[in-house]
Amino acid sequence: MNKKSWLITILLAAIAVICLPSMHAVAGDELPKEIVVGGPISMTGKFAKEGQQGFWGFQIAERWVNEVYGGVKIGGKKIPIRYKYYDDESKKESVTSLLERLITVDSVKFLLAPYSSGLTIAGAPIAEKYKALYMSHGGAGDRIFEQGYRYAVQTIGIGSRYQLSALDMVRSIDPNARKVALFFKDDEFSRTVMDGAKEYIKKNGFEIVFERTYPAEAKDMTPALTEMKIKNPDILLAGGHFADGQLLAKQIGDMGIDVKAASILVAPTLPAFIQALGKQANGFLGPSHWEIGARFGIETSKTIGSGYFGPTQEWFINEFRKVSKGTDPEYHAADAIASILVYVKAIETAQSLDTDKVRAAMNRLHFVPFYGEWGIDPDTGKQIKHQMVLIQWQNGEKEIIWPIEAQTAKPCYPVAACPGRK
Amino acid sequence: MRRYYPLILVSSIYLVLFLIGMDVKGMWQPMALLVFYAALGQAFNIFLGMTGYVDFGYVAFLAMGSYGMAITISNLHDIQWLGWGIVPIGLIAGLVMSALLSTAVGAIALRLRGAYFAIATIGVNEGFRYLIEGARIWGGAEGIIISKALRTAFGADGANYISTFWADAFVYIIAVSTAFVTFFYLNSRIGYALLALREDEDAARVMGINTTRYKIIAFITSASFGGLIGASAWALKLTYVFPADVFEITYAVEAIVIVLLGGTGTLLGPVIGGIIYASLKYWLSVIFPGLQLFILAPIIIVIIVVFPQGFIGLLKTRLKGTRMEGVIV
Repeated sequence: MNKKSWLITILLAAIAVICLPSMHAVAGDELPKEIVVGGPISMTGKFAKEGQQGFWGFQIAERWVNEVYGGVKIGGKKIPIRYKYYDDESKKESVTSLLERLITVDSVKFLLAPYSSGLTIAGAPIAEKYKALYMSHGGAGDRIFEQGYRYAVQTIGIGSRYQLSALDMVRSIDPNARKVALFFKDDEFSRTVMDGAKEYIKKNGFEIVFERTYPAEAKDMTPALTEMKIKNPDILLAGGHFADGQLLAKQIGDMGIDVKAASILVAPTLPAFIQALGKQANGFLGPSHWEIGARFGIETSKTIGSGYFGPTQEWFINEFRKVSKGTDPEYHAADAIASILVYVKAIETAQSLDTDKVRAAMNRLHFVPFYGEWGIDPDTGKQIKHQMVLIQWQNGEKEIIWPIEAQTAKPCYPVAACPGRK
Repeated sequence: MRRYYPLILVSSIYLVLFLIGMDVKGMWQPMALLVFYAALGQAFNIFLGMTGYVDFGYVAFLAMGSYGMAITISNLHDIQWLGWGIVPIGLIAGLVMSALLSTAVGAIALRLRGAYFAIATIGVNEGFRYLIEGARIWGGAEGIIISKALRTAFGADGANYISTFWADAFVYIIAVSTAFVTFFYLNSRIGYALLALREDEDAARVMGINTTRYKIIAFITSASFGGLIGASAWALKLTYVFPADVFEITYAVEAIVIVLLGGTGTLLGPVIGGIIYASLKYWLSVIFPGLQLFILAPIIIVIIVVFPQGFIGLLKTRLKGTRMEGVIV
């Protein structure tokens, strides 16, 4: 053996010695034939609609990871994932018993929390007990992630950020628009949104000129709207759920309230909004976690200096329509698929199936799937990178107007100037 | 001693469920689900079974119990010398709050009969929920989350242990206690008076029975146990109380189904009814996820049509004249 061969041999041996511990660590994990990911999901009960969207999203994610991506790359192997679920009937008792079954009988270490903040909190102690990672794709409440849970992680955007995109959009177009009216439904979700908006308003030089909540079963909002009209706000941040949001938008139109921008929770993001309101719907804004057409892609990932991961939006929408027999995907499906992508990416980063190592890898993770940016606060697991998209009805079409990288159309401002309104 | 055989049987059933939960992997929470529904049925049965009055607003008492525990934990969690004492204080607070609400409701609604009573109780449930939300009492619509407070008081592991073991263990204790009280009522002046008014309230009154007094006793007892169930199975276990979740009327409907399945006015009926109902729900959701309610509903209808007196009613008829007759109560 000549001198050169000796050098190469020593170099290879050195590399082997350096790499051996990590290779051994992965091998020591005794890689399974498949990685089971899953959780309770509401296929029946009051959250059945959202649950169904999420369910289809998870099925598509499983297909993409196994058939397109080729499996989770770990320890030099590609391991397929399997999605395991049970129907929780939108009930808190079912969540706890089914979670325990998933963890202990089905060997699920990577859990997908149920839909809604309440059910997500209900299952968190079980996940903590078994040190199983607990990914929230439908629990937007900030408070879930302020309780000190170690294994709970959030993919869905936090509730307190829902209305911030509307304020950002107005500020970029009209810096003189300062007067804000807050008019929200009196429930846990809407109050979280309002608290977040209030904090942002205080920090960013806006002024609250009207603040009121309305009861869950409100049938007439004209008295409060009359009072609000006198205050002459530039921006209205409002809403709760579909029925009240639609009523609110209709009465704003009927009363001729001339705010420059009106962002309403939930209702404007649904097609039923334009069907119910017709021309009056044009100009209204609505925050959403994701919408068809949102242009988060490779370009976005370059902007923030991170990688793109996952299927393209087109692939997702096509597959979704196939599995749902023609139904369009909503954000519940998009954040469901994003949740599984996070697990894949984090396991690959950690090169381990140990939940503590994967949780640590999540702290370093910052990437873009078609759903939008993903990144958490390391201490709480709270989602801090995902930006809400802001939609606006223009000429009877739902357009994404904010953030700029997701735009399908330019914002029309003020509301009265929106095409198709008159 | 033979007189107490029915109690030994009920306690043994709960003991078996407890041991299965402890020893079989992954069965602690499913067994806790069975016991939750059995306890709910038993507590509800004290009023429905013995009086024949249907209380659709019963879940309000569980809600009060949840609030009692949540308020206690959120306000007292940083008093270190209280230690574990905070949990029994929360249970007592839950019991007292549900008993107080039932006294107030009972004083008004128990003057009504039949459908009028049932409708009034729905109104109480919904009215109380909107009062809490509208007046922003106890966090209003935002509710109370106690996970962090539990962690402050007991540490992360302690809090998890309380939520995933002790909260369920308390439900076992409450279920057994409810059985003892039911047994005592059934074999006492209270039980005889209540059964008399269930058969014919006017006749019972003519016979000199103070029907209002006995109805209120049954109502408050039933509500108090409901409060204890809410305090442990909801607040302590799930670590949050949102009004929309704890005033959900479907729990009252489930309680009615459980009592009818097992047999109204019996000691063993709600236990068996609760176990059958929760087992079907759990196993159907495991085997046919998404279709379990579609399958469960006709099964329940068939059971109730075939056994109008419930399982225990049927069993009692079959065992009449045998040595087992005294055990099945």
